[in-house]
Amino acid sequence: MPFSLTRRAALHEVSLVARQRAYPDCSRQPMLALAGSRRSKASLSGEADRKPNLSTQATSEPESPRHPRSVQALHLKPLKREAEHGIPSCDLQLRSYSLQPLDFFCDFALRAAYYLGLPAYGPVPLPRITQRWTVPRSHFIFKKSQENFERITLRRLIQIKDGNPETVQLWLAYLRKHQYYGIGMKANMWEFSELGGQSVTKQNTRQYETDINAAWPHLGQVKPLESALEADKVLNHRLSSEASGPR
Amino acid sequence: MSHWRKKTLDIGCFVGSRTVRDHTKRLVFEQHEAERQALRYVIRNTSLPARARAEAQLQLQQMSNYTRPTQIRNRCTIGGHTRGVFRDFKMSRFNFRMQAMAGVLPGVKRASW
Repeated sequence: MPFSLTRRAALHEVSLVARQRAYPDCSRQPMLALAGSRRSKASLSGEADRKPNLSTQATSEPESPRHPRSVQALHLKPLKREAEHGIPSCDLQLRSYSLQPLDFFCDFALRAAYYLGLPAYGPVPLPRITQRWTVPRSHFIFKKSQENFERITLRRLIQIKDGNPETVQLWLAYLRKHQYYGIGMKANMWEFSELGGQSVTKQNTRQYETDINAAWPHLGQVKPLESALEADKVLNHRLSSEASGPR
Repeated sequence: MSHWRKKTLDIGCFVGSRTVRDHTKRLVFEQHEAERQALRYVIRNTSLPARARAEAQLQLQQMSNYTRPTQIRNRCTIGGHTRGVFRDFKMSRFNFRMQAMAGVLPGVKRASW
């Protein structure tokens, strides 16, 4: 994968810089390493060939400061856990009209799942939804000249397997709380219980309701308007009127 | 039918007599939907006595035309037009084009293929 290679390279540079900052006196050694890298490029050796040299250098030097593992992990692909039984417990579908926020939020969701201990699979790119509209440019008599518009919805699927339903709900709530702009989410959850027994969610429905109502004000980024006067103020504000349309 | 109409304006779209009327019809239909469906059920149920079914028929006939779903017509929220209104955007085709070119509609771009 060329993608992961470049990310690893970025991490490599970061660690070099950190060492330089820590030992300004012996800054020759990284320089030497760089010079070595230049030479190794001439001999067609790759990134992997340089790694063993670096590690021996690190062992010879005293403990050098580095970024925390969690920060280092940001430059790598998200970690994933392996499902033991492989029983699907949640399907999360993410939708967006643009790629960048979608990929970013998929990454975020996978990392969140990992740190919550959920085995997540994906993101699976689902078929794009293309909607097209054709409209005449002007009056109906000029039907010959038309214009096409389209809207392409990109979709990604993240599946959780072997998830505890409560943890999965926590994960979904966390994603809602940190919802990113331009991203729509929908989730299907499945839970399994013994025959004749009540499901976990049914047992505590009332408790969940109170919990959800208590948590509701903290979810999302939209503050509720307290009075009609305040709503009027927001609506008549210059920014909102400018944002509302072309006129 | 002015008694159905709200005393204060409760729509945020283009305001005209026809848009206000259409909005009122939607509200009235929503209020009376259950009653309408019950009467329709009674009329079509052959196991009920003929007298009850005839009475239900008369009652349904005497209900206001504002309670009928066929009276509702989609209108453009920007210009109030009834023709060429896209369901997805609740806009007539020309207003849709204007908004799309202004970049107000998320994800809508000019297409060429």
